[in-house]
Amino acid sequence: MENLLLFIETKDKELKKASLELLGEAARLRAAGTYKVHGVIMGGVPEDVKKKVLPYVDVLANITGPALDRYTPEGFASALAGYAKEIAPKLILASATQTGRDFLPRVAVLLGSGIASDVTGIRWSEDPVKFVRPIYGGKVLSEVSFTGYPAVVTVRPNTFAGEEPGAEEGEYLERQAGIDPGQLRTKVLRREESGQGKVDLIEADIIVSGGRGLKSAENFKVLEDLAGTIGAAVGAARSVVDAKWRDQEDQVGKSGKTVSPKLYVAVGISGAIHHTMGMDTSKVVLAVNTDPNAMIFSYADYGIVGDFAQVVPAMTEEFRKRLGR
Amino acid sequence: MNIVVLAKQVPDAEAHIDIGEDGKGLTVEQKFTANVFDEFAMEEALRLKEKHGGKVKIITLGTGKATEVLRTGIAMGADEALLLEDGAFLNGDGYATALALSRAAAKEPFDVILCGRQAIDDDRGEVGPMVAQFLGIPHGGGIIKLDIADGTATVECPAEGGKEVLEVKLPALFTAQKGLNEPRVPPIMGVMKAMKAAIPRVAPAELGISPEEAGAAGSKVRTEKYFHPKKKAAVQMIQGEPQEAAVEAVRILMDVERIL
Repeated sequence: MENLLLFIETKDKELKKASLELLGEAARLRAAGTYKVHGVIMGGVPEDVKKKVLPYVDVLANITGPALDRYTPEGFASALAGYAKEIAPKLILASATQTGRDFLPRVAVLLGSGIASDVTGIRWSEDPVKFVRPIYGGKVLSEVSFTGYPAVVTVRPNTFAGEEPGAEEGEYLERQAGIDPGQLRTKVLRREESGQGKVDLIEADIIVSGGRGLKSAENFKVLEDLAGTIGAAVGAARSVVDAKWRDQEDQVGKSGKTVSPKLYVAVGISGAIHHTMGMDTSKVVLAVNTDPNAMIFSYADYGIVGDFAQVVPAMTEEFRKRLGR
Repeated sequence: MNIVVLAKQVPDAEAHIDIGEDGKGLTVEQKFTANVFDEFAMEEALRLKEKHGGKVKIITLGTGKATEVLRTGIAMGADEALLLEDGAFLNGDGYATALALSRAAAKEPFDVILCGRQAIDDDRGEVGPMVAQFLGIPHGGGIIKLDIADGTATVECPAEGGKEVLEVKLPALFTAQKGLNEPRVPPIMGVMKAMKAAIPRVAPAELGISPEEAGAAGSKVRTEKYFHPKKKAAVQMIQGEPQEAAVEAVRILMDVERIL
């Protein structure tokens, strides 16, 4: 049986949701007898993460060493490629998070492999396996395959439906990375948190985004209230980032982030192409805009023509009632 | 300080893209522009030169319209340009493209390579980190601040829920994103100079790249076909007064779409 290697991410000592999604997909393939699944976690692994991951995999390898205490692309790439050389997997899968997209290309070069980045679909039953990835900002999808293996793939979060693991727990291994931290030419000096436990837009299940139609930076409070009630992240259109109402890291679109949440609520956003190319793979889109002819309605599943100041608080209130929050 | 910029001319975000009948080829409307992220890279290169001296060389791979990005770079202030122009270079995946660009970048000693976080046409975001790995140098991805002193760069990168400050030893590669700077508008004199500039070209053999390693032949990822994303069904407008519409929207999201 061929090996499938997963790179598993943790944040603040917890398993990332995007990694859990990959694990679910891998567990399905494992149960079907298609692949033997190896998971890799870098740096220390908390006991409850280990417990949570083991039912999804055949092997969980925890690779540690002073060079892996903090993320650096060089250190992580070298450690993951090293483990891949040992088990010769057919595929190496990681989530297309900031970290995944940052160092997996280096892993591909270290292994002399190709890479398909930010895929939104995998056709496992085809031979060779096909991968679907959006190009031109999502206007076109390309179906790609590999001419040789191992193949390296990063998967856009919210691509797979989460699957439950099997009952059988995998084996747990500990490995030393054997990388001299002195060799690393990148050093993390410090990390600055901008929001407590803030979910990155790329990985969020629900995003509430605002544009010029909100009229002021202060009015984003209305979106934050809704987001807080339904566990959403708050995104922004370019215009409001350029106006400094919101941080650059909140920007969705061409010069910002590409997101694919289960629900995208676009409030006061006109729907220019440079915005929609960052969100058009969202599963469900609800648009709220005063202009019935706004472009955003062409990208939406549901639309409300109305003033955000009336519609959004009413939604928050109704969600609160129904969710008991 | 020797600075190399890797850049790409891409179809405008609004350009119309048609897929061939068999799903094999794409026809792209002839509206091109410099990749937005590469403009941040060019600007940062020029600022480094203004501060530390040295020269800026801009490199691209492609034919025809590809040259335009080099002229944009020269107009902004780049000292040299290099075009990887040969049929054999074309239609490469990230691997083949990065291999060629890494050889071209390393033709002369360099201190810093700058490129955009990703190109907005193929959206791969692979070439920067891959070039760095081919050259065995560190990289910083999606930087929003860059300072260089004593052969070491201090950079800021957004990291999930915050940002990280990294110290990276040169030579190194950095990928640029929005927030790093405001790209300058090329001055008229620069545009005139760029129009007249002779662009040196280089073929695979001159970079030590064999025909099997270049472009489509050297690619490890093959495109099987192109297709359009599924069209969304027409939008369903939720009618009524704001209060009613809001309640109905919540009902649909929870009971029909079952999102919460």
